[in-house]
Amino acid sequence: MSEPNDSTDDGDRRAFITKATVGVSVACSVFPFAAGVPAFLDPVSGNGDGDAGEIPWSKVASFSALPEDGTPTRFGIVRERVTDAWSTLTNVPVGAVYIVKQGDQVKAFNLKCPHLGCAIDHRSDQGDFFCPCHNSSFAFDGSVSNPASPSPRGMDGLETKIENGFVYVRFQQFRPNLAEKVPLI
Amino acid sequence: MKAIIDWLDDRSGFRTLIKEALYEKVPGGARWRYVWGSCLTFAFFAQVVTGTLLWMFYSPSAQTAWESVYFLQYHVWGGWFLRGIHHYMAQAMVVLLVLHLMQVVIDGAYKAPRELNFWFGIALMGVTLGLSLTGYLLPWDQKGYWATTVATNLIAEVPLVGVYLQKLVVGGEEYGHHTVTRFFALHAGVLPGALIALVVGHIYLFRRHGIHAKEPRPKRDSYFWPDQVLKDAVACLAVALAVIVLTLYFHGAPLGPPADPASAFPARPEWYFLFLFQLLKYVPAFWGAVIIPAFVVLLMFAQPFIGKSEKGHRFNIGFLWCLLIGAGALTFLAFSEDRANKKHFAAVEEADWLAKRVVEIADKQGIPPSGAVTLLREDHENRARHLFSSNCASCHLYNGHDGRGFPVDSNQSAPDLAGFASRAWLEGLLDYDHYVSTKYFGGTAFKDGKMATKVLKKFGEKEKALVPKVAALLSDIAGLPYQEPLSEKEREEGFNVFFDELGCIDCHDIEDEDEGSAPDLTGYGSRDWLAAIVSDPSHERFYGKDNDRMPSFVRDEKLTVEEIGILVDWLRSKSSADSAVR
Ligand code: HEM
Ligand code: FES
Repeated sequence: MSEPNDSTDDGDRRAFITKATVGVSVACSVFPFAAGVPAFLDPVSGNGDGDAGEIPWSKVASFSALPEDGTPTRFGIVRERVTDAWSTLTNVPVGAVYIVKQGDQVKAFNLKCPHLGCAIDHRSDQGDFFCPCHNSSFAFDGSVSNPASPSPRGMDGLETKIENGFVYVRFQQFRPNLAEKVPLI
Repeated sequence: MKAIIDWLDDRSGFRTLIKEALYEKVPGGARWRYVWGSCLTFAFFAQVVTGTLLWMFYSPSAQTAWESVYFLQYHVWGGWFLRGIHHYMAQAMVVLLVLHLMQVVIDGAYKAPRELNFWFGIALMGVTLGLSLTGYLLPWDQKGYWATTVATNLIAEVPLVGVYLQKLVVGGEEYGHHTVTRFFALHAGVLPGALIALVVGHIYLFRRHGIHAKEPRPKRDSYFWPDQVLKDAVACLAVALAVIVLTLYFHGAPLGPPADPASAFPARPEWYFLFLFQLLKYVPAFWGAVIIPAFVVLLMFAQPFIGKSEKGHRFNIGFLWCLLIGAGALTFLAFSEDRANKKHFAAVEEADWLAKRVVEIADKQGIPPSGAVTLLREDHENRARHLFSSNCASCHLYNGHDGRGFPVDSNQSAPDLAGFASRAWLEGLLDYDHYVSTKYFGGTAFKDGKMATKVLKKFGEKEKALVPKVAALLSDIAGLPYQEPLSEKEREEGFNVFFDELGCIDCHDIEDEDEGSAPDLTGYGSRDWLAAIVSDPSHERFYGKDNDRMPSFVRDEKLTVEEIGILVDWLRSKSSADSAVR
């Protein structure tokens, strides 16, 4: 290959060899990465989404046990059946809610702050909800109570029903830091 | 752009570095025989990249290793491909190691002043084999589990510290979480780290002494760049293509059923370790695992000195060839012994079946925290096979095997129950020649019973022509899930044959008309009937005191009612064609 060669195509030949070498080397270096690109991108591929099914009702509390004066009470949500990658798990905590009694109705809010997902506190002395991360505050109806709050929307309300004296909630999560409430599948 | 590069060069001097790296002299010109080292470096690079990607999916614990690999293999986009590349590239590395070693020794590149580098090479070989061995366990499937058990038991053969060493590697006395975590730390951390350190030393020394040119030199000297690099890169690409082809051809790496310490699997290592496995059939473990390997490695370390003389050099080459041929012969023996071994074949078939089965179940219902192995332990189909094999197969066969696909050592004495109560099975039963064959009652006292000698043997052409009708009737009573029911008219015909034309009713009850001494055929072959006869065949309703050896499984507390139900459902679920084993 490296024989002395003074003819004019020597330059061409060298240029070709150089190009070929660069090309093949790049192909070799890219190959192992390329082998894993689909798997790496799996979480954003849409593979495995869909068919989330209907959100189940979770039994949260007995209606009569909720404070009459509308003081929020915090409850954990435990799902009977959860799947996580390969696992099927039973009775797994998936989040928590605040329940507020309003006459013969209830309101339920996701514990997570719609700003960036911290857990919201209930301040009984101030009579509001307060997120200790970046100081968002919310009224008991879930709306943003202090305009200086960084949260772009009020607390995320959840669907509720009362049946045979028990409060049920359709628990779900929402995309953080958007003005509108976009459910996560 | 140029300004940025100039700035970088000024501050780092990288141009000189690249020049030095690329404009290495290659005496005698670029040659294909020098590509193996580059191929190995490339293969290792590919393993690091694909291994790190696998890492994003792998969950090292006894209850999640198989499960996470299963998920990657079957539910992650392109997961099987990624796994396949890592798996076959690991095998390619072993092949490349051998090629590299042979080239170095045949060309005499291991001699002074390159002794040290040759030793680095031997160490690299050890580390790579260590990576292969530790990687084999990571999927935590039956194959990896049982084969690696043998390997870790061999560690105990090391004098003085063996037992402690074994405990250190296994992470305790028994296989468990810490076996997986330790193997994974070795496989993805310690060994690749050691390999990188050794490769750096190896390449540094290689550059220090320059390439060893094989004489005669075919061409004028040239530079590493671009001629040798092109050859190297083309060879690497060929390795990559071969690995891609293997991955596509086998549709990725195999994944056996999940590790189950209670369910024996014939341990076999990966093919490149088979020679060691075979060797252990002939020599004591201490020799096979310690003395012989230590001797070989020591001799290899001495090769640069042995090779000082021309004779010594020829000895070195001969020694390696002998080693290769010996390993090849042992590998061949290992393969051919397994091929000739019907039980081994059956075990592999069963493992393939279990692997498919567990994936089917896991796809449907997910995997509980106790791991995929519980899915198989609770699976009725699998339990039925095991129940049949351990309780029934001492007398009955199932399609010629023991229910799990294994050949049976002793002769069959009672009927083969595959396709039990199906039309085809009953037509066979009602034919004298079949009845007295071992497929039915040939091995029992019923061979000389009334049914055989007084009834079936006497059948003429006319009776024989009626047999399919009565077989169809009985089979219809069984209500097997895979058979179409009879029409009203066909049933009537069947009953006519049963009552009048063949007079079966003379001995057998049917539909609660109680007469007869032979087994009651009311509800014949149904779930209840079959469960009842298995529970207690000596009951009046069935063989009574004529019962020949069959135990009363429930009465004698050999099986529970639940287990009988599982067995009966399984027996009734498949025609004999569906249950055939290749
Ligand atoms: C010379 C380098 C390497 C060799 C020879 C090698 C070899 C192997 C082998 C034989 C397996 C079993 C594959 C199977 O049957 O599925 C395996 C699995 C695995 N390897 Fe490697 N490996 C190497 C480097 C690496 C590196 C550097 C990493 C991570 C940084 C890694 C991560 C893994 C993982 C996570 C698995 C388990 C996943 C699976 O089995 O599919 N490997 N490796
Ligand atoms: S997360 Fe609640 S205020 Fe930022």
